[in-house]
Amino acid sequence: MDAEPSPFVAHLLDGDSEAALAEAARLCASRADGQRLVVEGLEAALDRLSAKCTTEQFNLLEIMLTGRAAMAVARAVFPEGGVPCTRGTLVIATPQGDVHDLGKNISKMVLSTKGFRVVDCGKDCPVAEMVAAAEREHAFAVLASGLISPVIPLVRQLRGLLRERGLAQVAIVAGGAALKQCTAEALNVDYVARDAFDCAQFLEGLPR
Amino acid sequence: MTGLERVLAAVRFEPTDRIPVIPQIFGHAARVAGVPLQQYLTDPAVLAECQLAALQRYGADAVFALLDVNVETEALGSSLRFPKDHYPSVERFAIQEPSAVAGLAIPDPNRAGRMPVLLQATRLLRQALKDQVLVAGCVLGPMTLACQLLGAERALFAAIDEPDAFARLLDFAADVAASFGWAQLDAGAHVCVVFDPSASPAVVPPAFFRELVAPRLRRLCDALKQKGSPATWLHIAGPVEPILPLYPGCGVDIANIDYCVDAKKARAAVPRLCLDGNIRSLAFVDAEPQEITTACAQLLADAGTGFILSSGCEIPLEARPECVQALVDSVKRR
Repeated sequence: MDAEPSPFVAHLLDGDSEAALAEAARLCASRADGQRLVVEGLEAALDRLSAKCTTEQFNLLEIMLTGRAAMAVARAVFPEGGVPCTRGTLVIATPQGDVHDLGKNISKMVLSTKGFRVVDCGKDCPVAEMVAAAEREHAFAVLASGLISPVIPLVRQLRGLLRERGLAQVAIVAGGAALKQCTAEALNVDYVARDAFDCAQFLEGLPR
Repeated sequence: MTGLERVLAAVRFEPTDRIPVIPQIFGHAARVAGVPLQQYLTDPAVLAECQLAALQRYGADAVFALLDVNVETEALGSSLRFPKDHYPSVERFAIQEPSAVAGLAIPDPNRAGRMPVLLQATRLLRQALKDQVLVAGCVLGPMTLACQLLGAERALFAAIDEPDAFARLLDFAADVAASFGWAQLDAGAHVCVVFDPSASPAVVPPAFFRELVAPRLRRLCDALKQKGSPATWLHIAGPVEPILPLYPGCGVDIANIDYCVDAKKARAAVPRLCLDGNIRSLAFVDAEPQEITTACAQLLADAGTGFILSSGCEIPLEARPECVQALVDSVKRR
């Protein structure tokens, strides 16, 4: 991780979409396939950001800029719909009563780039709708992002609602400023993620 | 000592009869009074009554003439949605492009949106309390108002993609804050809390804060002091350790620290800056009063002088009153 990043990764880390797209085109012309661009470019850039995500160095702007550049490359390399899904389907939403969706959108960007198919139920979303989406889309996990404390009782309902639909095996991950003040036990979820990268790491480790 | 004297002495690192204590009670005052939140946020007499009742109940050293984070953006043309018994949110932002700020004028605090509600609530609180406790108003800091005018995601990308237009937006936001702050001081607020959570290192890198936010905060703090404010109070949530050393240069006198900040490290970083904080906000909902008491005792031992005992951020609407009382009693029992 300490070695100098490749020019492609460096452009992504700078959030320079134009330069990253040009480098991706150059690599494609030299016969690099899309999967290699994902692993050695997009994922490598996100891994470097993930390593920086300590309390002192974490900030949303940097991740947004890299995420935007990564999404631009993904759309150019895979025009049919972004990075192919290799890691399963997730449902993500900001629960009802909370309209702060910046954290959710950033998580979606990171997880999509890592090869998860992310079904976005938006903000201010009833938890029943999240559960219905999980059933409809055959999701293996439901992610709830909440900035404010009134969503806490709603997040606690997710487990029971999933069980009622026979989806007890679906994992629940919580994140966001309010939710990360709670323990997983208090929220009745499987994991409380510190940030989008921590969430990705937890999801990657789930047996499927 | 009165609550006001106690707070101002802490700001100057002078001796106090006890540690000042200010739970950040905003909408929670409506909940404990059994008043619908929307009424509290739109009726100055109701806000003042609820704040006075909360003061009577808990016995803290301050009251807040503070509505929500949408007052300025609403006054500038954003449309809001008021969900039942929750804070409002922006339905449509006042501007869609940062350059559109050129078409906005500084709002008249006596006429625009709910600005007059806040001013009238300030007058009522100051008339009722005189100088007995600190009467605090609130303005949004430049970064947060920029995000509230344009939407956070759009504003953050604009900061990078359209730096000149974004700088003008920040300048405008700082001017709005100064104008609204002056009106609040005229109405009787002793100080205005400058609330700027979007400037947190959790959102933007410290260099961004240093280059773009700090100069505007300096201007704002200078303006508030020029109007006679005895102290300036900056409230930024999240892990502020990397930017704390920049606060004195911004003219800040009181710095709020959130629960995730180590009070000892914060004290070491700014030995002569008054700090307030930092009991975890959600603890007032999910912990027992005894846990609050224990956390306060540890915090008071760590924070040293020049300290105001407080929550790290807002006391949640649904906080348990006995937990808020435990915070206040922590300094009174010593």
